Amino acid sequence: MNDTAVPMISVRGLGKSFGGHRVLQGIDLDVRRGEVLTLIGPSGSGKTTVLRCMNFLEAYDEGEVRIRGALLGYRRGPDGRLLPESERIVAEVREPVAMVFQQFNLWPHMTALGNVMAPLTLAKRMPPERAQKLAMAALARVGMADRAGQRPGSLSGGQQQRVGIARALAASPEVLLLDEPTSALDPELVDEVLEVIKSLSRDGMTMVMVTHEMSFAAEVSDRIVFMERGRLVAQGTPDSIVYRPQNERVRAFLQPWVRRSLAGRAEPASINPAP
Amino acid sequence: MNAPTLLERLAGYLPLLAHGAATTLLVSLVAIAAGFVLGAALLGLSRSRARLAAGAAAAYVSFFRGTPLLVQLLMLFYLPSAMGLELPPLAAAMLAMTLNSAAFQCEILRAGLASIPAGQIEAAASFGIARRQVFRHIELPQIARAVWPAVVSEAIDVVKNSAIVSVIAVADLARVGRQLVASTYRPLEVFMAVGVVYLVMTAAIFALGSWLGARMGGGRAGARRIVEQAAGGQP
Amino acid sequence: MNAIDMGVLLGLLPDFGTAALRTLALLAAAVAGGLLIGFIANLARELGPPLFARLYWVYTAVWRGVPFLVHLFIVYFGLPSAGLALSPFQAAALTLAVYSGAYFAEIFRACWRAIPAGQIEAARAAGLSRRQVFAVIQCPQALRAAVPLIANQAILVLKESALASVITYPELTMTAGRIVAVQFTYVEPYLLLALCYWLLAAAIARAGRLLARRTAIDAMVKK
Repeated sequence: MNDTAVPMISVRGLGKSFGGHRVLQGIDLDVRRGEVLTLIGPSGSGKTTVLRCMNFLEAYDEGEVRIRGALLGYRRGPDGRLLPESERIVAEVREPVAMVFQQFNLWPHMTALGNVMAPLTLAKRMPPERAQKLAMAALARVGMADRAGQRPGSLSGGQQQRVGIARALAASPEVLLLDEPTSALDPELVDEVLEVIKSLSRDGMTMVMVTHEMSFAAEVSDRIVFMERGRLVAQGTPDSIVYRPQNERVRAFLQPWVRRSLAGRAEPASINPAP
Repeated sequence: MNAPTLLERLAGYLPLLAHGAATTLLVSLVAIAAGFVLGAALLGLSRSRARLAAGAAAAYVSFFRGTPLLVQLLMLFYLPSAMGLELPPLAAAMLAMTLNSAAFQCEILRAGLASIPAGQIEAAASFGIARRQVFRHIELPQIARAVWPAVVSEAIDVVKNSAIVSVIAVADLARVGRQLVASTYRPLEVFMAVGVVYLVMTAAIFALGSWLGARMGGGRAGARRIVEQAAGGQP
Repeated sequence: MNAIDMGVLLGLLPDFGTAALRTLALLAAAVAGGLLIGFIANLARELGPPLFARLYWVYTAVWRGVPFLVHLFIVYFGLPSAGLALSPFQAAALTLAVYSGAYFAEIFRACWRAIPAGQIEAARAAGLSRRQVFAVIQCPQALRAAVPLIANQAILVLKESALASVITYPELTMTAGRIVAVQFTYVEPYLLLALCYWLLAAAIARAGRLLARRTAIDAMVKK
């Protein structure tokens, strides 16, 4: 599964400030083909900002983000400085990356099918018949094919988010970015979305996810990254980060979750303090 | 012969008031329709990257929203004659009301565009959809629903504002009222009849607007929004 | 286009100055009266029997559904035949106060509604009477929220005050018209007229922003 070729996404020395406030500092990260990478950490740790820098929804100030080796958002000037790149080139570079949003961001005046087709017909200029086939396939993949003709207004939150995932999948992306995909959902609707994400990971989809669902993150991820105050503090397998946290700060962060898990469910055997 | 009763007198006013109301509605319709087109053009100009165009649009809107309609009407009627151009009263009235309404409709459209959640635009951009396509396929279709209550409010305001054109001798409802008073010496009942006719017109616009707003998919919420928008409307 | 004669323009300033004061007098009377009427109307609607709510609805619907000019004609030309003859200023101020009162009432109603129901519930549960809730919970927050809306409405009242010229109150618009008729210069008087209103509106907007900032409370409901 590990590719010795160029990583899907490569982040080097990433830095970002909002106004005077430093949000990201010195982030180094690689996302390899087929792996599921999850970013966790407290609010304000910058994990969502890292995600949004990966498809240039936020312009980073320092460092580099490369998608399959190609520099994203900038080009190197003759003196080596970063110069802003044209919109067209940026769109080309980030084409293999698709995003799923916390607030779904569906277009309310279009049907579910319309939402999934729009990026294909508008951005990729695909003929409608072909776009419709791909869109229906994507909707079927997330279990929403029977509601293709309904508008977001008549769908539940979980259904809307699944349409959002279908919309991201329809363009056959190589990497899926998921920004807290279940945070805006009522608790009983969370599972249906997590199931879809799980099945995508089983199919080998490369994913970078920001989430607060710790059990899910531990279950589905190949690698978990813990961030705090704009810096990457620890990374490793689910075992070394969530189940047997070796880093003191990670342990402190997970403490409330551990307490709640122990109170309600039969997972105590997996939660051991580091020796 | 007995003097005519109140009811008979009111019945006598009706044909003249109807004529006046027709003129009022004509002027209002032109102002709203032409004002919409001009307002949309102004919005486009104000979003242009050419600073001169954007600045001119901003100045236009600031002037026509910041000064009384009566002043604008007087300027548009009297200033051309100082330059040797004779503008007929009806034309000056339609022009002034159109230019005035355009400024307000520009702001209504601007607010409508801004009310579309930014996340939708962001999602479209992230999928590589070009700016122009985003406007055509994402923003434009949602604009009608977003601005409808404010448009209904503006239509009501235009009808009410149109009474001002009576000062430059356009034969609208208000002017007909003044003429009737001059011939009947009954100012209280004539002007109250005029008021009732205006009330009927604005109420009809409100009812029609609410009904159309509900049909546009706002449902009850759409109709309710129109009521609330009207609450914030201008005199 | 005729060039603007600065000499003529400067010569107009004294007349326009007095006229502006008259406009401001009318504006002040109308806004003060309108705020009072609007507040009482809203209070009556909030605390009074259901009848008052219906009367409130009739007042705001009828007064806002008829052009201000017609209101003015009814009061200035119509009332004398019923025994009440008012001077142009009195008629304009009274009519504008009652007219803008309907709009202020709706502003107050909107700001009252903007306070989360939960706060009212908590107060009632703690034993406060409806009157106490009105005075102690709703008024302080709603009135602060209303400040920018009131400033905006005051600008609209300013623009409407130009109609007082039609019933011969010598405010800005009538003064400009008089000067034009007497002196046969069109450009300078009308330009100065537009400028005066524009400056007055900007001043009101500024005052409104300052007042809003001074009275704001951070954790308050934002309208």
